[in-house]
Amino acid sequence: MADTKKSIAEINERIEDGSVHVVTADRMSEIVTELGAEEAAKEVDVVTTGTFGPMCSSGAFINLGHADPPIRMQRVWLNDVEAYAGIAAVDAYIGATQVSESVDLDYGGGYVLEDLVAGKQIEVKAISSGTDCYPRKELETTITLEDLNQAVMLNPRNAFQRHEVATNSADRALYTYMGTLLPNSRNANYCGAGTLSPISNDPDFETIGIGTRIFLCGAQGHIVGMGTQHEPISRFGTLMVSGNMKDMSPEYIRGATLYRYGVTLYVGIGIPIPVLNAKIAAKTGVRDSDLTTEVIDFSVPRRERPVMMKVTYEELKSGMIEIEGKEVPTSPLSSFYMANKVADALKNAIKGGEFFLTQPVERLPTDTVCKPMKQTKELPLVKDVMIREVATISVRASIADAAKLMMKSQITHIPVTSEEGKLEGIVTAWDISTAVATRHEGLAEIMTRNVIAVDSEERLELVIRKLEKDNISALPVIDRDQRVIGMITSDGISRLIGKERRWQWKLRL
Amino acid sequence: MKLLLRFPRPGHKTPRTAEVILETGAKINIDKANVDAVSGELIVDVPSDKVNSVAEHFREKGVEVRKLMKLIAWDEERCIHCGACISICPTGVFKFNPSWQIELEEDKCIRCEVCVNVCPFRALACVD
Repeated sequence: MADTKKSIAEINERIEDGSVHVVTADRMSEIVTELGAEEAAKEVDVVTTGTFGPMCSSGAFINLGHADPPIRMQRVWLNDVEAYAGIAAVDAYIGATQVSESVDLDYGGGYVLEDLVAGKQIEVKAISSGTDCYPRKELETTITLEDLNQAVMLNPRNAFQRHEVATNSADRALYTYMGTLLPNSRNANYCGAGTLSPISNDPDFETIGIGTRIFLCGAQGHIVGMGTQHEPISRFGTLMVSGNMKDMSPEYIRGATLYRYGVTLYVGIGIPIPVLNAKIAAKTGVRDSDLTTEVIDFSVPRRERPVMMKVTYEELKSGMIEIEGKEVPTSPLSSFYMANKVADALKNAIKGGEFFLTQPVERLPTDTVCKPMKQTKELPLVKDVMIREVATISVRASIADAAKLMMKSQITHIPVTSEEGKLEGIVTAWDISTAVATRHEGLAEIMTRNVIAVDSEERLELVIRKLEKDNISALPVIDRDQRVIGMITSDGISRLIGKERRWQWKLRL
Repeated sequence: MKLLLRFPRPGHKTPRTAEVILETGAKINIDKANVDAVSGELIVDVPSDKVNSVAEHFREKGVEVRKLMKLIAWDEERCIHCGACISICPTGVFKFNPSWQIELEEDKCIRCEVCVNVCPFRALACVD
């Protein structure tokens, strides 16, 4: 049996004469399973993929046209959301995650983009210092998408191949870019379109490349190149995409707010995969059960978060996964319903002879890695600045003992420990005064038991966040066995920062 | 059927809820309770055959009673069926149908309002 080989030109001829056979990626998985890759390659010409999810790394270049007298905008706001104006006089880039200066997280760049596409009016404000050629210093006007010369969406990182699953083992809720994570791993949030995911259907970038025509929010857009942080070797490929906002449909572009985290943009992207041969057909046969990702514990506020387990998209889509023996409900943050709609819309556009495939101008790199940031001006670690000589007191001691110790060691916070030296609580000068007023005598009765402690390897930024968030002034430092090995105080941090000028900018002192 | 009860004086010594339960024999489930310095508010789940008598007994004791016809309002136009509401709901109100659209089992709702904040598209609301 001869191997099937098709060219993009041949497929485009079939689109032209209406004989093209297009299926969505989830249907293709069934076809490949039923017929095998070789037969599927004969049968199917194009597989359409689709995804509709929160894609923070999105935005648009707009050109407002010149005012009279003209202005060189130095700062510009669209509906109170600042756009980047550090480019030519009336060009700006409005980013999806920028938040409103008047209503904060209730509105932002993502909503501006949605409102533009929906044809709504946008209030523009701009300021400038004025020049001989651009004398105007202030500008206020109202525009719609139609009034702009150009509104070109350019999203630096979209269509993630897959995404990690977020859960939270801490005892308080976390508000993250992966949504609200309930305490004690009571939920798990994931993202990505699974079997419909564009890159997962062409993981080696054999057909998706620079110049590939795509469905972008209802318009015909293009792939500009690899997305930022593109790392295909670990199946974390990403795409940079672009399209004309004037051709987009409000159904496929939606601003959104992730509660207590920020504003984002839901973007609808569909990529056609030409089935040029059996090898490509086999790859488009990918199923949810073939796609794995990792469950990450977001309770660790560091770049490297612990991986709790591996799961497949099939398991995630079942609505429940098992984490450490416990059933945990899952939520996708991207919409499978809309992803299907995107893949269907693209399929219908191809079948209807409105959408033709392109040969990539160049292939995307398959060997790039996403490096961590090079950091040269770091705040120290807790262990570098903590007080090591710490006075502790036994949980069995009296309040009078604690008061004496405070006077003797000139401190206002004393960690209270068990007989094995484990941290049990903390007692402050304030607690002592309260105890005297309420006639308590035992330390155990009045100490704070839910004491917040830190690890000696933590960065000072995180400690400062804890001190500020809970409005406390001292934290015990503990080791793995819960033994107190140091103390860190806000006074101590202030003194340290005061000495080191290079750290001051970080703390807005 | 869920009832919203407003107690005008929280310092009242009479255990009115307990009395209504004894008088009507209704097995009432308290879904939600907010009590502060000026008023108290309960949402109770009452078996449908006892709703009218429970409501009547509460009213006789000076409690404002409202039948909650709408526990959670869902704006289907705004919803994109992302499912963010599913895993955070403590009582499992939301689920996907086979075509991945959200479906609500409204009678499970206890009006905790967690989903109202979590919905990225503000498509959910608790209305009286």
